[in-house]
Amino acid sequence: MRITKLGAAAAVAVLTTVSLGACTAASDDGPVTISFWHAFNADSSEVAVLEDTLIPAFEKAHPEITVEQVAVPYDELHQKLITAVAGGTLPDVVRADIIWVPELADLGVAEPLEGLMPDFDDIAGSVYPGALATAEWDGQHYGLPLSTNTRVYLSNPDTYEAAGIAVPQTQDEVADAAAAFAANGVYAFADNDLSGWNILPWIWSAGGDLLAPDLSTADGYINGPESLAAIQLLYDLYAGGAIPPIIVQGGQDGTEDGLANGDYASVMNGPWAYPIIAGSFPDVTLAASQVPSGDGGSISVVGGEDVVIAAASEHKEAAAEWVRFLVSPEAQRALAEVGQMSVLSDLGPEMVGIQPYYEQFVEQLATARPRPATPAWPEIDQAMKTRLQAAFLEGDDLQTALDELAAQIDDILAAHE
Amino acid sequence: MPRSTLAATRRSGAPTAGPGLNLPGRRSISPAYAFLLPGLAVFTLVMIVPTVQAFAISLTEWSVAPGRPSLFVGAQNYLTAVGDPVFWIALQNSGVYVVATVIPQMLLGLALAVALDRPLRGRAGFRALIYIPVISSWVVVSLLFRYLFGTDGGAVNALLAEPVDWFGGRWSAMFVIVLLGLWKGVGWAMLIFLAALQSVPAELREAAAVDGAGRLRRFWVVTIPAIRRTIVFVSILLVIGGFNVFISVKLMTDGGPSDLTQVPLTYLYRQAFNFLDFGYGSAIAFVLTVLVFALSVTQLRFTRRDDEESAA
Repeated sequence: MRITKLGAAAAVAVLTTVSLGACTAASDDGPVTISFWHAFNADSSEVAVLEDTLIPAFEKAHPEITVEQVAVPYDELHQKLITAVAGGTLPDVVRADIIWVPELADLGVAEPLEGLMPDFDDIAGSVYPGALATAEWDGQHYGLPLSTNTRVYLSNPDTYEAAGIAVPQTQDEVADAAAAFAANGVYAFADNDLSGWNILPWIWSAGGDLLAPDLSTADGYINGPESLAAIQLLYDLYAGGAIPPIIVQGGQDGTEDGLANGDYASVMNGPWAYPIIAGSFPDVTLAASQVPSGDGGSISVVGGEDVVIAAASEHKEAAAEWVRFLVSPEAQRALAEVGQMSVLSDLGPEMVGIQPYYEQFVEQLATARPRPATPAWPEIDQAMKTRLQAAFLEGDDLQTALDELAAQIDDILAAHE
Repeated sequence: MPRSTLAATRRSGAPTAGPGLNLPGRRSISPAYAFLLPGLAVFTLVMIVPTVQAFAISLTEWSVAPGRPSLFVGAQNYLTAVGDPVFWIALQNSGVYVVATVIPQMLLGLALAVALDRPLRGRAGFRALIYIPVISSWVVVSLLFRYLFGTDGGAVNALLAEPVDWFGGRWSAMFVIVLLGLWKGVGWAMLIFLAALQSVPAELREAAAVDGAGRLRRFWVVTIPAIRRTIVFVSILLVIGGFNVFISVKLMTDGGPSDLTQVPLTYLYRQAFNFLDFGYGSAIAFVLTVLVFALSVTQLRFTRRDDEESAA
């Protein structure tokens, strides 16, 4: 009850800021049109909410601003953004995957929001710190988080019942579960890649890390004993047939079908797995739990999207207004209805009321960490997954492989200096 | 008007029309250039200019954001390519892909064309069936093959006694990529060959038959020589297409596992669009362009020599 009141108070505070901001924007700009690129899913109801709820509500509150939205499939959006950077044709506002924001900032095409939005600190204070950190580059914020998500341990309860064991809570129990599942022909765990998104929860939970906290080196981190132990666990499961081979195949397959079919006992996945599985397997009920813990606790990885304003935008005030609206409780609630978890920490308790399956995700988000915010990330991520794929396929000595990987990552970091 | 006057007019009139026209044999060339101009202009705009631009980019550490200077690095990107093992794997893979798809596509395409060139019940249906993959979207059929050859629950593994981890190794994954290329391309080769076969004069075949040539011999000495130019045309386009394989690899393996199924286009796409290293990406693109150009010229040379020999 107290939390709800607090949430309401925060909502009022944000709304007040929104309307205050509206007054400043309306003063001298006259009617303006801002363009907004996003990868909201056109097949689900995400685009519908944007078109039918969010934009009309915003335009009603701000009659002088028109929002022109462009839906781009997620797989094409990064390429389209880079092409637009080169051509100087970025839209006013972009909903960007959190891992692209440092890159856009480093290219000098994203506007730092501290200077543009006088109320930035207030808004920043109302969102999850882990989500906010994804927009930070070089001491400034180049966007605001719009939606957040994380990975939790999703299990098919039937498989555990058949094997007569409980869903593992720790990394040690995952190894034990593999033995129980071996007889049933069920994979104890499945994942579809070896990128940071996939393996960082294992590494962090084991107490390891990929890079030094100041992002200066990988040596002593990715090849440290804790990281090694986490990757060794995954490798042993893979080599022992407890993890299916799709883990070395670069994220081309999803794990949803295998989980629903009972081929996989558990997977790690985001909240979108629920609508996907509900669509094809309406009879399957999933069990969600926290990422199996180790010496570091239970630490997952933050995913999601940030909204970024282009540095070259001619309507930055209006763009900031649209960004303010998108992170307002009103817009965040509407987005939560269609699977986009709110970034406002005050709305956390409400999320479970909107979608009961958000529960484990909200809890996991409290400690979830973002992937290293550096423009070198795409290269580091690729180097890591390529080296680990080779190590898994060839059965290389993992310490040697990780030492090589650390050296390779340090080269990439040096090249980005 | 007396005939001599007409001739004189023609003779004296010719030079005034322009210096090019009074040379024997070149009379018709200038108008030809005029007609070629629009096409040539478009070609220059969409082919030559970007190629030159890509070459210029390949000599720099190119800055994506306009207004920021690009650092000139000379041949550095090309040296990087030479020392990059993945680049060589990519070239090797595309070589394997070209050899493994072009020859079977030509043989199968020709065989199907010959088979469907004669009256046959359901001929149109067969032709359509074989041509449908050609007009299907690469994206759709790539994802289809990805599912068909999936390790768990893939239809192909369901039929096999021992399931194969198709996308878990270099050659098994390349096999699937080649198979898709073959299945998708053979209908196109068939169609072009069909058109060529229908232009082979029936009298020639009849004459050969009268001379006592059997069916096989007629095919070798009449049909094949008559469609030889088409064969060359198909082979050149298939080789070019083979080196440009992209969507199927991107969607089925994205070059994995561990970069073992990279082809030049997937690798340069990653360098350019994932890592923003457009200089290196352009260098790879330029090497590929030169390679394909050289191969096409060589293929054309071979036929031209044949033409001259047969003319002599």
